[in-house]
Amino acid sequence: MLETVDLKKVFKNNVAVNDANLYLDQGESVGLLGPNGAGKSTTISMISSLLVPTSGDVKWHGKSVVKDPKTIRDVLGVVPQDIALYEELSALENLKFFGKIYGLKGKELDTKINEVLEIVGLEERQKELVKTYSGGMKRRINIAVALLHEPEFIIMDEPTVGIDPQSRNYILEMVRQLNEEKGMTVLYTSHYMEEVERLCDRIYIMDHGKIIATGTKDELTSILSSEETILVELDRSYPNLIQALESLDDVLQVTEHDKGIKLIVPKGCRLLGKVFQQAEKEEAQIVSINVQVPTLEDVFLHLTGRKLRD
Amino acid sequence: MKALFLLQWQRLKREPLLIGSMILMSIIFVLSMGSSSVGDAVSVPTSFDESINEEERESWLDRLNQAEGFSFFQTDEKKAREDVALGTVPFSLKVMENDYQLLILNESAELQMLDQVVRQTFINEARLTAVEEQVNQESFREEVDQYMSEPPLVVKNETIGTESDNVGYNNELQVLFGMTLFFSMYTIIFSLSKIAEEKRSGTMNRIILSPVRKWQVYLGYMGYSFVIGFVHIVSVFLLFKYVFDFDVGDHFGSLIVVVGCFVFSVVALGMLMLGSVKTLEQLNAVVPIVTVSMAMIGGAYWPIEAVSNNILLAISKVVPVTYTMEALKSIAIYNQNLSGVLEPISIVLLIGVLCMGIGVNLFERKA
Ligand SMILES: Nc1ncnc2c1ncn2[C@@H]1O[C@H](COP(=O)(O)OP(=O)(O)OP(=O)(O)O)[C@@H](O)[C@H]1O
Ligand SMILES: [Mg+2]
Repeated sequence: MLETVDLKKVFKNNVAVNDANLYLDQGESVGLLGPNGAGKSTTISMISSLLVPTSGDVKWHGKSVVKDPKTIRDVLGVVPQDIALYEELSALENLKFFGKIYGLKGKELDTKINEVLEIVGLEERQKELVKTYSGGMKRRINIAVALLHEPEFIIMDEPTVGIDPQSRNYILEMVRQLNEEKGMTVLYTSHYMEEVERLCDRIYIMDHGKIIATGTKDELTSILSSEETILVELDRSYPNLIQALESLDDVLQVTEHDKGIKLIVPKGCRLLGKVFQQAEKEEAQIVSINVQVPTLEDVFLHLTGRKLRD
Repeated sequence: MKALFLLQWQRLKREPLLIGSMILMSIIFVLSMGSSSVGDAVSVPTSFDESINEEERESWLDRLNQAEGFSFFQTDEKKAREDVALGTVPFSLKVMENDYQLLILNESAELQMLDQVVRQTFINEARLTAVEEQVNQESFREEVDQYMSEPPLVVKNETIGTESDNVGYNNELQVLFGMTLFFSMYTIIFSLSKIAEEKRSGTMNRIILSPVRKWQVYLGYMGYSFVIGFVHIVSVFLLFKYVFDFDVGDHFGSLIVVVGCFVFSVVALGMLMLGSVKTLEQLNAVVPIVTVSMAMIGGAYWPIEAVSNNILLAISKVVPVTYTMEALKSIAIYNQNLSGVLEPISIVLLIGVLCMGIGVNLFERKA
């Protein structure tokens, strides 16, 4: 349904998106995961026809969006990363205006507005000015506006940034319902691993403008299937122990983790004994020890050598 | 387009302060500067010799007060002397049977004018009295008054203004037109700058993604800033015409057409400025510079006749304010109608069309 072909965007000397290839099928929910500055928003702007790519193309049902933006605009809803509303107007007035520019009017407009207000759960406060809303409420109206014209494809750019866990949960549940119950195709960007894990059928991982991995959550974590993670919790930090563990033969990666240490080792290498030995030598107090299957976070760490969020 | 146009009014209703204060400023400036040279008569304490009775005193005051620029009122001689001595008034007048005395603090230009006014009044009166004694007729004075109010011949002095002379200078209208045009430029350009604000806030992206066409977006915004600029100027003109009795001539309709052309050219100029700056902050810095210098060079602060520098005069030829001031004054002071100001207003329109074309192009390219 949607496909990007070697999509590239260069700002002056900065390559924001570098040969990105991705696709979405109808009814899918796809996540675009990446740290700050990875190029997620730039990719989205090009997909939604707001930004012309330096090279490459975006195809909607095989037709070029770059050549004919209208093909995608009519069926597309975009929730921008920054709140795009008239703050001095009420939520209702905002919805009325954005509904009108999509050609809705009269009864139909009122019905649609009530519908989206119900979806985002703000019926009761619709008459209040947007500038008096909390961050979470603004985010919800920001989404409501994008739903007014019943798009079949919705792009959400970090719709949960900077809000309380309750609003966040509400929004995630809402997106899941839109996708599962209304059959909307969703492209969801985030730098929160948990959100993408919970919502998306497939995931693209992006870093420095490049798509570095793709697949379902299971496929991605199986990149690390030959490895496992050992989490050692200690009573305090022991820098010497980290050094000692790093020098062990089989250990692939050691990172400090809160008061503990995280080790990535080849599967079934029976390292636990050696860990205990070293801990004893450094007189470190082990509180607990845990062997884990890898997460997306570990995948990202593995692929880039960095954490997703610093 | 209609939705976009109406949206701006809705937003204005919520935040009317900026535009409201621009309109208020034009009114305040016209009131304070326009009236300072008219109506503010210098008061002159006047005392009378004892030989003049109360009735005669009244008629002396009436005659003296016919002169413009001074207002004579009766006081007693002692008080008048004290006031002059203390410097609370610059001078006082003492009227005697066949003569007068001026009590002065120091020499001044006003004093000379006062002396002239009083002397003229005395000479006229002396002549009338002399004739009156000869004809010895009761109704003589009334006849003279009547005759003077309907003279058989009036010599009127009128010259069509050129850049070098001052004839036809009317401070009231100069200030009314100049200040209103000046402040309206802010109203118009700041209203138009909402379009740049929307680009920044991201609402413009939403509009672009909707089925609304580009030209409809521009038309919605420009229509709004045109109407608000037009309402600003016309309402101030109406206020001063009807409430403060400014004489703006008999062709108010023509004035309105000129205003329309001016507002169009400023909307276009605003578009050019929006297209040339990178950020809203830059725009906010550039707007006062451009409007103030256009107002100065174009003759909104003072008459263009006061400008003699050739470079400034040359620049004034490409500023719409210049032609608008010229057209407005021709209509209001020299009673021209629209056909008399076709040349200046077509230049204004031409400047508008040019700025609009370049401005919209620049603005589009930035996206
Ligand atoms: N208009 C622009 N002009 C110049 N550089 C830009 C522009 N927009 C984005 N960039 C650069 O492109 C890169 C990618 O930015 P982008 O906004 O796409 O990242 P992102 O993945 O959305 O990050 P975040 O999670 O912070 O939103 C960044 O280095 C950014 O500085
Ligand atoms: Mg972003």
